[in-house]
Amino acid sequence: MSILDHVIDVKSLKITYGRGARATEAVRDISFTVSRGETVGFIGPNGAGKSSTIKTMMGFIFPEAGRVTIFGQPAGSVEARQRTGYLPEVSLYYPFMKAREVLELYGGLAGLDRAELKRRIQPLLERVGLAGKGEILLKNFSKGMQQRVGIAQAIISDPDLLVFDELSSGLDPVGRHDLRDVLLDLKARGKTIFFSSHELYEVESLCDRVVIVNRGCKVADENVSDLMARLQAEAGQGRPRSLEDYFMDLIRPRELAA
Amino acid sequence: MIRRIRLVAGTVFTEAIRRREIYVIVIVTVALLVAASWIRFFNLAALHKFYHEIALKVMSIATAVTTVVLAARQLPREFERRTIYTIMAKPLARWEFLLGKWLGVVGAGLFCLALFMAVFAAGTLLAGSSIGWRIFLQFIYMQALSVALLAALAFLLSMLMDIDAAITTALLLYLLGSVLTNAMIIVHDFVGAAGRVLLVILNYVIPQPALFDMSAKVVHEWSPVPAWVLGLSTLYALMFIVPYLSFSYLLFRKRKL
Repeated sequence: MSILDHVIDVKSLKITYGRGARATEAVRDISFTVSRGETVGFIGPNGAGKSSTIKTMMGFIFPEAGRVTIFGQPAGSVEARQRTGYLPEVSLYYPFMKAREVLELYGGLAGLDRAELKRRIQPLLERVGLAGKGEILLKNFSKGMQQRVGIAQAIISDPDLLVFDELSSGLDPVGRHDLRDVLLDLKARGKTIFFSSHELYEVESLCDRVVIVNRGCKVADENVSDLMARLQAEAGQGRPRSLEDYFMDLIRPRELAA
Repeated sequence: MIRRIRLVAGTVFTEAIRRREIYVIVIVTVALLVAASWIRFFNLAALHKFYHEIALKVMSIATAVTTVVLAARQLPREFERRTIYTIMAKPLARWEFLLGKWLGVVGAGLFCLALFMAVFAAGTLLAGSSIGWRIFLQFIYMQALSVALLAALAFLLSMLMDIDAAITTALLLYLLGSVLTNAMIIVHDFVGAAGRVLLVILNYVIPQPALFDMSAKVVHEWSPVPAWVLGLSTLYALMFIVPYLSFSYLLFRKRKL
């Protein structure tokens, strides 16, 4: 695989919040790549450095050391963001705007013209389960409905890379099911998807690869199919069988040692 | 680029219009002014010009307060609502975002000013008084410069402190700037060399909204001011607006979101 196929390239990332005695290392040393068309799950316990890494990928915060590129461009550059759709952990949108207006805003910022927006918005609202809700002010939307608007704004420009921070945060089971369908469709269309999640079944069922982090460091980077096959093979010897068991075996000893 | 800036400005303007704060401010201010107009001081009907001047000044102050409050809360609200993350995830440069926000606040401030001026013009005509339309339009233009300047000032302050402190500081500077021009003229001959240096520094550092106030000229129906006066006033406003916005950008450029 050539370096040009790397959609995301994170090298020796180090992120520190605060200065001097108050400095806190959120990320100590994380490196990984994500290739074109891959779906990668990014998992770890709270405080492992997932959100900080994603925020650096989006250019919201700046690393103390290391380098992050998206499509070969520096993370956060306009060129990188042009091809990226992003859904934050907590999705809140302008409460004084209607769902249609919010999508017009985000689509317009992504470079779509009015005709294209008009063509895309209605089907998109239907796709995320908000058919007929385009003219309702967002202040009247539930958290789950706002998250659906969030998914719509992330994919409105049909970006090549999708980054989701806490994939199904705030969604009810129906919402999760719908989101899974959207993701599977995007995956089938060759989009690159990178998401953090606490739901290991999402990683198991959606991802090609899983990157596990703990205490600011990468502790595993596995192909999900290979990993699951290995866990199945180990099952016969009385060893861990699920991804959750594997995850706990990686995280727990370090937690106990700390 | 222009479309992205316009879209960001549009959100600010839409919020200002839909949250109805501007209407409330205009209605309350006008109601107070109408109530005050019923008072006949010493039965002197000739005081109506003085009343008109006060009404224009009160409307200017209400517009200034509205502008400051709108500008000071723009960025903190983006962080509070966490909308900044989804907005800045789009291919939007940080300077485009800031410029769009400032233009949106200026637009909302001008909308507020337009409402006030419509009420003032209608009230004056209904009362049977006349307005010198050219000087009145010049007054509105100068007020627009004041709105743009105040928005930039409050914007910068909101980068440096929290919303409440930014609003308070911006309004204090506005009030100080409003009396500074006259105060400097009065005290200039009574202070020593160091005092005069301080006055010169204050003159250049603190914007003086009093220089944009043409309310007395409107009420007393003066002749319109020459174009070069408007040009110099525009330059004076830009002398503050450009550094304020540039400094805001420098602070925001590398700010962690």
